[in-house]
Amino acid sequence: MPGAAVRIEHLVKVYPDGTHALQDINLEVKPKEFLVIIGLSGSGKSTLMRCINRLIEPTSGKVYIDDVEVTALNHEELRRLRRQIGMIFQQFNLVKRSSVLTNALSGRLGYLAPQWALINYFPRDVKLQAVENLRRVGIAEKAFTRADQLSGGQQQRVGIARALMQEPRLILADEPVASLDPATSHSVLKHIEELNRQDGVTVMCALHFLSLARRYGTRVVALKAGRIVFTGMPHEIDEHRFKEIYGEEAVEVEIT
Amino acid sequence: MANRTVTQPPPPPTILRSRTRPWTVVPVLLVVAIIYSYGWNVTRIDVGQLITKVYLVRPLVRDLVRPDVLRWTPRLQTASASLNFTAEGAPAPGPSVQTGPRVVLSSEVVKPGSPLVIRGEGLAPSRPAAIYWKDQSGATAKALDLRTDAQGEFIVQLTVPDLIGEHHQIVVEVTLEGRQLRPSEAATLVSSRLVETLFLALMGTTIAVIFAVPLSFLGAKNLMTRNPAGTAIYYVVRTVFNITRSVEPLIMATVFAVWVGIGPFAGVLALALHSVASLGKLYSEQIESIDPGPIEAITATGASPLQVVRYAVVPQIIPPFIAFTVYRWDINVRMSTVIGMVGGGGVGFLLIQYINQLLWREAATAVWGITVVVAAMDYASAWIRERVV
Repeated sequence: MPGAAVRIEHLVKVYPDGTHALQDINLEVKPKEFLVIIGLSGSGKSTLMRCINRLIEPTSGKVYIDDVEVTALNHEELRRLRRQIGMIFQQFNLVKRSSVLTNALSGRLGYLAPQWALINYFPRDVKLQAVENLRRVGIAEKAFTRADQLSGGQQQRVGIARALMQEPRLILADEPVASLDPATSHSVLKHIEELNRQDGVTVMCALHFLSLARRYGTRVVALKAGRIVFTGMPHEIDEHRFKEIYGEEAVEVEIT
Repeated sequence: MANRTVTQPPPPPTILRSRTRPWTVVPVLLVVAIIYSYGWNVTRIDVGQLITKVYLVRPLVRDLVRPDVLRWTPRLQTASASLNFTAEGAPAPGPSVQTGPRVVLSSEVVKPGSPLVIRGEGLAPSRPAAIYWKDQSGATAKALDLRTDAQGEFIVQLTVPDLIGEHHQIVVEVTLEGRQLRPSEAATLVSSRLVETLFLALMGTTIAVIFAVPLSFLGAKNLMTRNPAGTAIYYVVRTVFNITRSVEPLIMATVFAVWVGIGPFAGVLALALHSVASLGKLYSEQIESIDPGPIEAITATGASPLQVVRYAVVPQIIPPFIAFTVYRWDINVRMSTVIGMVGGGGVGFLLIQYINQLLWREAATAVWGITVVVAAMDYASAWIRERVV
């Protein structure tokens, strides 16, 4: 299952309140890349991610995934495309009252007949796949626990298992570790890294900490006020660049 | 005088004063005084009457605290025999009994106006007894008072009256010694009407839920205001909810009592209509307050809208929906009492009849019955709500 390539051309997003969240973004992501997106809160990282699978409709510009123009797809085509794009969220976005297993299974819904939802039916092989994916992220024994009984790190691993159910070719991770402590952050990012290395899934991951960006990214893109201000290798971000991205007052905080 | 330095006492702490001047308080107090004195007059508050007219309410209160629940009733021995004006269509005679209390007639088929010999056998000896004509409709009329003899028998001759219908009964009641405690007529009536009230509330609530659930999705801002058509539907649904909710169920019950006749069905309809509006509003507010995160996440997996609702919305709203519904049923039990008073059936209808007939002890039975049921419902609904939320 090869990783997907992403190409973004002249992407602009203006919110109804007049905020220019993205201003003429041009970006190319190669298959199997681990692209880290850095930038201050409000710099447009989340908007950029959501414009790729059109959870947010771009104002103008084009997004291609493997030469398929995402921005030109109709509802049904978009739905089919989304099945290949896993998404991981800062707040995990699990259904808190549902079990871990149900949360994982919900990642497979795009491949199942919608009417099965009415009787809460999942085929046996899908259930086995869910258990396998939960095992892969190390929480198979929590399958029947309610999602809100889990710690933050465990919840995020359920989020990864849900994305795995999609058998994704691209993973969009929107600050996946921003709500987690440093140790847990590494364990979660290692799972994403493993997907990238072993399964060859393309990853676009928004991160706050430069140290994490340097450790996991194969390439870094920096956003500032809706524009790309830096593209390059993680180690290329020096003191000067850092101030450019985060502002003069910023001091780099290490996370190990 | 060598050391002239003296430590200065610390300055007194400055007390923060509000900026309200005393003279602004006076007119405010004056206005308040005027408002309340007008209120006192307009509501004709007369504390003196509470004391001087207490004698009026005393008998009423005395009856209210002595509800008519249990009654001492004489123990009775009964026996009956069938009496027909035509042999055709007569109920099959039961197996003729030779022991125990029984009534034997000289003829089972008689004409009105003809003589009839009635023999009672196997009855309690030397006790007062009465013979009743019981016609086809079940109405009874006393024919004769008598006393059984030392052998527990009697024999009398009566003229058959002109009863309505063809097939009747002769009933003999012998009053035995001693008495027994039995639920009073009011108590049995009240309890059967209380059951009716509970089910009235249940049916009203259930019908309301069936309509309120789909409507609540149409009245949820976060789901509907994504396009102009949805926004229009949202405002229409919300307006209908608000108008319907503001109409007193009492008035609805009056309208439905005229429409479908006095009785529990009118009450069910009134409760259902009112509950659709209040449940719909509560439900849609619940839908509006759900966490949008799972909706976003499941949409992002490529799930269809139906699947998104089933796996992201429904799990979040089921427990609060159950809680609101049980609470509504609880409210409806209380409300159906009032609705009954205007012709909506149930215990309320019985209560207002007792009150109109000045049967205070029977009314008290209804009032206490309602109190017990409402308190129990209150407790039960709190218990259920605690467990689902």
